[in-house]
Amino acid sequence: MQKSKFLPRGRKDRTVVMVDIRETKSAKAADHFLQVRPGKDFELLTIMRAMIKDQEISEAEVAATGVSMEVLRDLIDQMKKAKFGVMFFGMGLSMTRGKHMNAAALLTFAAEMNAFTKFVAMPMRGHGNVTGADVIMRWQTGYPFGISLNRGYPRYNPGEFSTVDVLVRGDTDCAFIIGADPGATMPKPAIDHLAKVPTIVLDPHVTHTSRLSRVHITTAPAGIAAPGTGYRMDEVPMPLKPALNSPYPSDEEVVRRIKEAIAEKPDWMTNQPQMIESQV
Amino acid sequence: MLRITGGTVYDPANGIDGEVKDLYIADGRFSSKFETGRTIDATGLVIMPGGVDVHTHVAGGSINFARAMTPEDHRRTQAFIRSKTRRSGLGGMAPTTFATGYLYAGMGWTTVNEAAVPVLSARHTHEELRDIPIVDKSSLVLMANNEIILDLLEEGEDERAKHILAWHIWAAKSYGVKAVNPGGVASWKYGNDAKHLTSKIDGYDHVTPGTIITKFAKMIDELGIPHPLHLHCNNLGAPGNVETTLETMRHLEGSRAHFAHLQYHAYGGDDWGNMRSEAAQLADYFNAHPNMTTDAGAVLFGDTVTITADGPWQHLLYKLTGRKWGNLDVENETGCGIVPYTYRPSNLVNAVQWAVGLELLLLINDPWRVFLSTDHPNGACFWRYPEIIQLLMCSDYRNECMANLPPNIKNKISLPEIDREYTLYEIATITSAGPSRALGLPQKGDLGIGKDADLVIYHQDHDIARMFGHPRYVFKGGEIVIEEGDIRETPDGREYLVQPSYDPEIDKFLRPLFEDRYCMSFENYPVEMERIERSQIQDCVTLGGEGE
Ligand SMILES: [Zn+2]
Repeated sequence: MQKSKFLPRGRKDRTVVMVDIRETKSAKAADHFLQVRPGKDFELLTIMRAMIKDQEISEAEVAATGVSMEVLRDLIDQMKKAKFGVMFFGMGLSMTRGKHMNAAALLTFAAEMNAFTKFVAMPMRGHGNVTGADVIMRWQTGYPFGISLNRGYPRYNPGEFSTVDVLVRGDTDCAFIIGADPGATMPKPAIDHLAKVPTIVLDPHVTHTSRLSRVHITTAPAGIAAPGTGYRMDEVPMPLKPALNSPYPSDEEVVRRIKEAIAEKPDWMTNQPQMIESQV
Repeated sequence: MLRITGGTVYDPANGIDGEVKDLYIADGRFSSKFETGRTIDATGLVIMPGGVDVHTHVAGGSINFARAMTPEDHRRTQAFIRSKTRRSGLGGMAPTTFATGYLYAGMGWTTVNEAAVPVLSARHTHEELRDIPIVDKSSLVLMANNEIILDLLEEGEDERAKHILAWHIWAAKSYGVKAVNPGGVASWKYGNDAKHLTSKIDGYDHVTPGTIITKFAKMIDELGIPHPLHLHCNNLGAPGNVETTLETMRHLEGSRAHFAHLQYHAYGGDDWGNMRSEAAQLADYFNAHPNMTTDAGAVLFGDTVTITADGPWQHLLYKLTGRKWGNLDVENETGCGIVPYTYRPSNLVNAVQWAVGLELLLLINDPWRVFLSTDHPNGACFWRYPEIIQLLMCSDYRNECMANLPPNIKNKISLPEIDREYTLYEIATITSAGPSRALGLPQKGDLGIGKDADLVIYHQDHDIARMFGHPRYVFKGGEIVIEEGDIRETPDGREYLVQPSYDPEIDKFLRPLFEDRYCMSFENYPVEMERIERSQIQDCVTLGGEGE
């Protein structure tokens, strides 16, 4: 781990506290482990928010989270003494009971900690370049995901325009899948819909989705045999430098060629104004 | 080839003040002759060089974070609908990249300078800049809180620091250097700030904001960077900060310097209740010191989102407003804070800010040294520039607006006593010729032979905001990009870079330090040249000792 002027001993000068519902491998790498009861994330975060402001909390409320008052007091004391704290959070928080409310509680907690010391919060992102997709969608459309372009301009509504919702409703008559394997993870109605419509998959490998697709174009694996950019979860872009050659084209090249071929076709969205002052 | 006949031309770079004059264009530039081609009759219309924005935030990690934080604004704003050749986009407080190009060009602006780029995420900024169509672009790299450079200044290793600075400018593929709250952003990593030029910076015993500022200005002049040190002073936004600003100006005597968004640095008083304008005092000093340029950072009433590398200020703003707050820290380099904000005429502090921006534009008497900006999106969105032009050109309109301010603003501002009205010639200076000269882009903001054919043609209109908001034609590189409110073409813009020289051995010094402190490998840090689309390297300049 990086050493610095303020943390000359690297990892030894840092303190890692793991909060989880079970003791995982990550917990063993941490300095402290707090086992929270499943589904009690929101309560634990709210109690901690109250405790940093010295508000009164009953023993029973604390006990219900599975963490003792004494441990919490000690943790808060350490957090306030830290010079720079980071709260990392993942899908265990955002995809369990409470969902986005848990994330909101954590983000508020991090903001409030700044009354005492410097604190930030950062989501731990999964999968290859999900942050990169999120970053680019934002600069091109204003929104990170769950975007519909079917009126000719970007609209955003997670729960309506998210991939899984669009597929489950059967709203699409074609699917173009790149850098993902929804056939392995999505609910059955979504997968059934992918099998029903013409699905085109770009992937270096045979996947669940490629098996049910109408067309599978094998592409060179990004970062191994194709160059590009990957965004780290802190949104720092890293250049991907290929180590190997591949007989297959890159995703970028395939997409560009498809785009050029589509440009030859007549425009299906004619007689639209260039700009509308208010969206419909 | 193209000919524009009969227009009334305002071209300050050539001293042309409202002369009827024909312009010829060939191969994207103004030409002395015309043989065949289209003729545009501009009789009765006003012609100016295309606008140049010296200070804006349109691309990169921080504005993109602001986009993520404001979906509610995207939904209520104008939408650009895609066509076969044109990408879709959204306007609003933090417009999407494609819309940014359409909106700037749509009011006649053809060059923009993105004013804050951390080296670590410069690759991202350049990817976004590539997606801003029509306008030409440049960007400034954030350096004045860089740990490696501050360490060298602390040890008195100024010469080595200069080589490292030059190395970073080229690594980021930037056009110049921005200093934000020097020392204060470094201290913010530990929750502290550096409000005065003598403030202690966390982790340093000798180096202060004052030494950082003077040494950076000197290094940049010695390297011959075409645009001087672009400085966001310490103590932004705080009552009484005019003292810090004046002290900073005194530190910079004998160097070139550009003061960013001076409006945020021109306040008297000592708390929010008695905050007042000190624009007159600042303008007096500024008028007497020709080594400096500035942009106004004017405020307009309404909704916006504030984004700045000044992290501690944004934390304060979050506490004051209780609205959303985003914070980014960029390893050893810099940081950024984001807070949505509404400027209200009924709010005394906001009313003073509104007046200060206009006062600076009206009291600084040389239009070649003060430029139109709102520090987009901080004071207002860039697409509201026509409203500011109206405020500058019509004192009646200013008085009308002042009637909406709280009564207790009397004695806190000097705007009611100012009756100056800008002329079209002066508007062309503060929006184009002046900022081009300050940026060191002689091919811009100039309708002379051989210069880039970026120009805008307006209808004469007594409604000034309408006139500047709806050009008849906008030309970029000799091509009609806007015609009567419609987007005609969306060519890709250029990106301007500088390549200052440095000792190639500096790599050997930097590498071990870098590998110790950064979580990226040294080879991956510099932005590769092939990632810059349509790059153009501007020569560094040699500065004469006397005169300046
Ligand atoms: Zn700015």
